[in-house]
Amino acid sequence: MRWLPRWPGWAHLPRDARDVLFLLAVIAWTLAPHFDHLPLWAPVLTVVVVLWRARLAVANAALPGRWPLGGVLLLAMGLTWWSHRTLLGKDAGITMLVVLMVLKTLELRARRDAMVVFFLGFFIVLTNFLYSQTIAVAAAMLVSVWGLLTALVLAHMPVGRPPLARAGAVAGRAALLGAPIMIALFVLFPRMAPLWAVPQDTQAKTGLSGSLRMGGIAELALDESIAFRVRFEGGARPPAQALYWRGPVLARFDGIEWNRLEPAYASAPRRGAQLQVGGTPLAYEMTLEPNRLPLLPLLEATPAGDADAPRTDGLRAFLRSDLQWQTERAVTERLRLTARAYLEHRHGPQRDDGSLADHTDLPPGYNPRTLAWAEALRREPRYAQATPQQLVDTVLAYIRRGFTYTLTPGTYGDEAEGLFAIDEFWLDRKQGFCEHFSTAFVVVMRALDVPARIVTGFQGADPELQDGWHVVRNSHAHAWAEVWLENRGWVRVDPTAAVAPERVVASRSLRAQPGVVAGAIAAVNPALMVQLRRAFEQLDNRWSQWVLNYSRSQQFDLLKNVGVRAPTWEDLAYLLIGLLSSASLVGAAWAWWDRHRRDPWQRLRARIDRRLARLGVSVLVHEAPRSLALRVRAQFGDAGEALARQLEAFDAMRYGRAASVLPERGWWAGFVAAGKALKEPLATAALR
Amino acid sequence: MTASIRQRWQRWWQSRHPRNDTWTLTQRNIYIVPTRAGFFFAAVLLVMLVAAINYQLNLGYVLTFLLAGAGFVSMHLTHNTLRGLTLHLRPPASGFAGQAVPIEVVLSSPTRLQHGIGLTLDAHDDLLASPAVPSVFVDVPAGGQVVAHLAFVPPHRGLHELPGLRAETRYPFGLFRAWTVWRPASRVLAWPAPEKPMAALPSQPEMAGESRQRRASDSGEFEGVRAYRRGDALQRVVWKKAARTGELVSRDVSSSRQQELWLDWQAAHVAGTEARLARLAAWVLAAEAAGVAHGLRLPGVEIAPGSGLAQRRRSLDALAMWS
Repeated sequence: MRWLPRWPGWAHLPRDARDVLFLLAVIAWTLAPHFDHLPLWAPVLTVVVVLWRARLAVANAALPGRWPLGGVLLLAMGLTWWSHRTLLGKDAGITMLVVLMVLKTLELRARRDAMVVFFLGFFIVLTNFLYSQTIAVAAAMLVSVWGLLTALVLAHMPVGRPPLARAGAVAGRAALLGAPIMIALFVLFPRMAPLWAVPQDTQAKTGLSGSLRMGGIAELALDESIAFRVRFEGGARPPAQALYWRGPVLARFDGIEWNRLEPAYASAPRRGAQLQVGGTPLAYEMTLEPNRLPLLPLLEATPAGDADAPRTDGLRAFLRSDLQWQTERAVTERLRLTARAYLEHRHGPQRDDGSLADHTDLPPGYNPRTLAWAEALRREPRYAQATPQQLVDTVLAYIRRGFTYTLTPGTYGDEAEGLFAIDEFWLDRKQGFCEHFSTAFVVVMRALDVPARIVTGFQGADPELQDGWHVVRNSHAHAWAEVWLENRGWVRVDPTAAVAPERVVASRSLRAQPGVVAGAIAAVNPALMVQLRRAFEQLDNRWSQWVLNYSRSQQFDLLKNVGVRAPTWEDLAYLLIGLLSSASLVGAAWAWWDRHRRDPWQRLRARIDRRLARLGVSVLVHEAPRSLALRVRAQFGDAGEALARQLEAFDAMRYGRAASVLPERGWWAGFVAAGKALKEPLATAALR
Repeated sequence: MTASIRQRWQRWWQSRHPRNDTWTLTQRNIYIVPTRAGFFFAAVLLVMLVAAINYQLNLGYVLTFLLAGAGFVSMHLTHNTLRGLTLHLRPPASGFAGQAVPIEVVLSSPTRLQHGIGLTLDAHDDLLASPAVPSVFVDVPAGGQVVAHLAFVPPHRGLHELPGLRAETRYPFGLFRAWTVWRPASRVLAWPAPEKPMAALPSQPEMAGESRQRRASDSGEFEGVRAYRRGDALQRVVWKKAARTGELVSRDVSSSRQQELWLDWQAAHVAGTEARLARLAAWVLAAEAAGVAHGLRLPGVEIAPGSGLAQRRRSLDALAMWS
């Protein structure tokens, strides 16, 4: 058996084989974006099955029977279980969808099978958006939808070997004609909260999802989109180094990942934030872009008092004991709130009340050299009696001496499953950014028996104001540390500021190194690079403003512009229903008007006959235009010459050697003019 | 009660669909409903909408609404595929009962190229007819015509009205099925199915004496020849001469007139009217194949002896219509 069948050339491929190859290409294109986050075996299975199916199509060989297919399906289900420990949920579900889609291509027997493939395909296109909604992904998926629709049209062209381009044109035309419906639905379909709770796993857009591992924030460096905008009352502009926007506080460390410290049992005593504030309050207004996280990144420290607590409409928020503002559900639409913060504040217990033991825990076995380094520091005679504050200063001094701040430090912990990740950073390479500095700092502090934890959030804001608003971008994401000192409570320490003060003082946002292409363009023509970058940023900004972040508040704004004073979602629904019904009525009216549509030649001939009858020429249905010309000549003589000529032209146009498919434009006007010219002498003759 | 309602429905239905050999498809005679795939598509869209809501995916909304728009437009496109078409039935040929009679339908489209139109000769002429898979598919070229070949099997001899003819399409997406039912006016004449195996041709008792002898003496020697005339049986053409000279020449009728054979109702000794007719039909075919001039005698009908396709046709038609 030959593994590679002879390739007959695209033009000589049988029609069925061509259609199958086209469909396989579309399916592969649709599935490709998923390869990144599927367990490794699934992409391998996909590629193998697609290639095998293509081979079967070209060789015109029989499809496998149902039993082997069932076996592969069972195997794939087993592998899914093995990879995800479940068959439900988002990731396992998507894996199963991909497998089903791929295996279904081996079972394309009847039209019903083909329909199943198309509908699975549309659904898989949707699942791609769970992972990314960038312009590039949207464009790629538009191609997918077009390809699927084209394949659908091909499946309903049973005759001959229709060219792909024609099917593609039909599919594109249907989609374009449907675009107004799409736009109306998109703009007016009432946006609502999730119908039921869905697992909020990987859909967090920012790295502030309540867990941190090395490399987690690096992705954010690429994300220049706006996280929120802030305006301070009275035009105050606090210094950038004071702007710490607090997110999840991470105190539990398993050696790889930092997580929130949740009480071990539900009835653990709730202590509250124990927050004392001083100085003048700083009132501010914040517009939070939907971040799909159940938290508000408020300025440190925003207390829970009536006058200070964030005021939001529709969403309840409460202050956790670690001083983070939590919401009852994820923020899925743009949120506006006002609150008051106190830059001078103090929080946490003043004396050790037993809640601090968790904050000196370190997982055994990890980073032994760092622990030994801390032990050695401890043993030095000059630090024998050192206070925690002095230890903090010493470690910060160590950081200041030999570390480099960089956004592309490479990866740590590749060896030994991350057992020595911090050793590698703290003692060997000494390159990194906020997440490396804060995690290593907290580990070292804990090794020195100083309670410490990580705070994630945002730091700083764009240096320029936008219409009086401070803009905080996702690339402002930051991680810093807090240590507990007796009589002072939890105190913020930002080890990143020790090595790269400009990061905090000038509030430079994280910015990744440009890629190869961008680097090349920047080297050749920096001005062009800047222009391209600006154009792309503008496009991306519009994209997120008009498409990704279009939410109920924008819908209501739209209704207000139309003139609805207090819009509700019912108004949206009425407007939408009204619009769609009137569109349907217009469609029905058009079809009704169109019902008498006939062959354009016949229609024109009927008009000619009527016009001639008005001139007094008797016309029989079967007469050719040239006999009508003879009749006109006989009846009017020279006066009818122009009209007769026109009729002969019609004859040639319809039946002559160079006959056209449709009547030429302008002929009718000439005919009418000739008829009028004839009518006037007739009228005068009649008067006489 | 139900019978009367059904009758009334039938009457209304038939008045809506007058028998006609040319059927132009307009808004009034095209029906359209979603297919099973269409309902499935709607369900998929609903699931996608719920997913878009639950995961708050604006691009999910975009995709769902894009597909909904395209699906809605496809309803109009499906309807448009049929609208404006003209179906015309060519006069159908006759055929034997129980055998397929070719039916030719000319489809013409005044404007656009129309794809994927399926035609079925459907026994039901009901609005709720079960949608069988069409027996033939055609594409109609823009401003042109195409001929669809169907087959009709008449169950018994006699004149048959054609069953309702269904033209349908699911083009372009298969979400909707548009169809029309057309009742052609032309009727198909079905000849009796010839008996199989055939009984031997009857002998000719009425041909006696001298004529028979003369023919026996003549047969080997001389046959008159004349130029071919339209309608001459093919067996009578002198093919050898035609091959040599290139002219078609027939044996003279007069020379074989003596071989005339009467196919008589009385001579077909078999029980049952239909069986007799079947035997006579088989005899007509056999006589024609043998090149023997033949006449037909039925009670009340007599067809003078002759030969050729016209004679064959005349005889078979008489057999078909005899009652």
